[in-house]
Amino acid sequence: MKRFECLQAIAPLMKDELFVTTAGGATSEWNAVRPSDGNLQVKTLGLCSSIGLGLAIALARRKVIVFDGDGALWMNMGSLATIGLHQPKNLIHICWDNQQYESSGGEPTVSTAEKIDFAGVAKAAGIHSSRCVSTMEDLKEAVSYALTHDGPHFIWVMIEAGRAQVPPLKYDELENKYRFIRYVEETEGVNILRIPIPHSYEVKKDRP
Amino acid sequence: MGTYENSRRILEALKEAGVDLMASVPDINLKELIDLLYQDKEIVHVPVGREEEGIGVCTGAYLAGKRPAILMQNAGLMNSCNALTTTALQFGIPVLLLVYYAGDMGDNAFHMLGLLTEPVLSGLGIKYTVMRDPSRVKRDIATAVTSAEASKRPVALVLTRAVL
Repeated sequence: MKRFECLQAIAPLMKDELFVTTAGGATSEWNAVRPSDGNLQVKTLGLCSSIGLGLAIALARRKVIVFDGDGALWMNMGSLATIGLHQPKNLIHICWDNQQYESSGGEPTVSTAEKIDFAGVAKAAGIHSSRCVSTMEDLKEAVSYALTHDGPHFIWVMIEAGRAQVPPLKYDELENKYRFIRYVEETEGVNILRIPIPHSYEVKKDRP
Repeated sequence: MGTYENSRRILEALKEAGVDLMASVPDINLKELIDLLYQDKEIVHVPVGREEEGIGVCTGAYLAGKRPAILMQNAGLMNSCNALTTTALQFGIPVLLLVYYAGDMGDNAFHMLGLLTEPVLSGLGIKYTVMRDPSRVKRDIATAVTSAEASKRPVALVLTRAVL
């Protein structure tokens, strides 16, 4: 199964979850399937799981969904241990495994030789709700379960390589950040873009 | 090794400046500060395995309304260069970097780290203050947080043994 078909299949299950998506097809395809200001693109290979962890810790009652890849996860496998340590109940970590660095020319990853068991690694790191799926039915069931039960959850999805012909994101990372922040502000009723408080200087008191 | 008295002063100044989430990776000179973080009830403490993860955690926390900081050695600053560049700087995320200055003048180890710390911060375009005066701790921290928020960029405080 292709990633794009998977994204189309799980999109109807979603409500107001926040999404953190790794660079490449996962970002462009998800934004084509489910455009939302609650989608954050990631430019640093491997960092999506850590950014998702920070979001999940700071917004403990909001579901946060991370779209990782096999190459990206390999680069930041330590984040599985960190997620296992902190046990964010609201984090759903999905790794789309196409066994290649798709955005970097299709070179092999650690997954290509089929020796790694990412779901086993996640489970051993303390992410008890960890599983591997390779059919559409199992994927939908796994995502439904994760959306309705406390996590953290890790879902390792075996997919075919290949990106769908969808347009790239229409805005850059700065606009993405502002849109995302405004979306969180609106839906959480919080103020994030604060104006710095001048009195924090206390210039007169502390200047020698 | 630092002292609990100095570390307490740093922690209180961080709270006063509004810092409410801290990622950390230990260094022997940060032991007291990290001990206090583990006990503290106000600041959310997120120990991470590698500093680059910490930049990610701080980024996510900021986007959710926290005022984040990361506590690490300068070796960790080197480890985080890509995350700082392609996430914190490229997206404009105000993360406070509290960096222990290993290899500072007079330190008998890690002299290369000491030599390269300030050039790397300058090269990354990250504004920084080297903290050497315990009496200026509160002001150094408050001004750094203000600069980070105003510029929406990471700002660094380089911690020397004199303030720890």
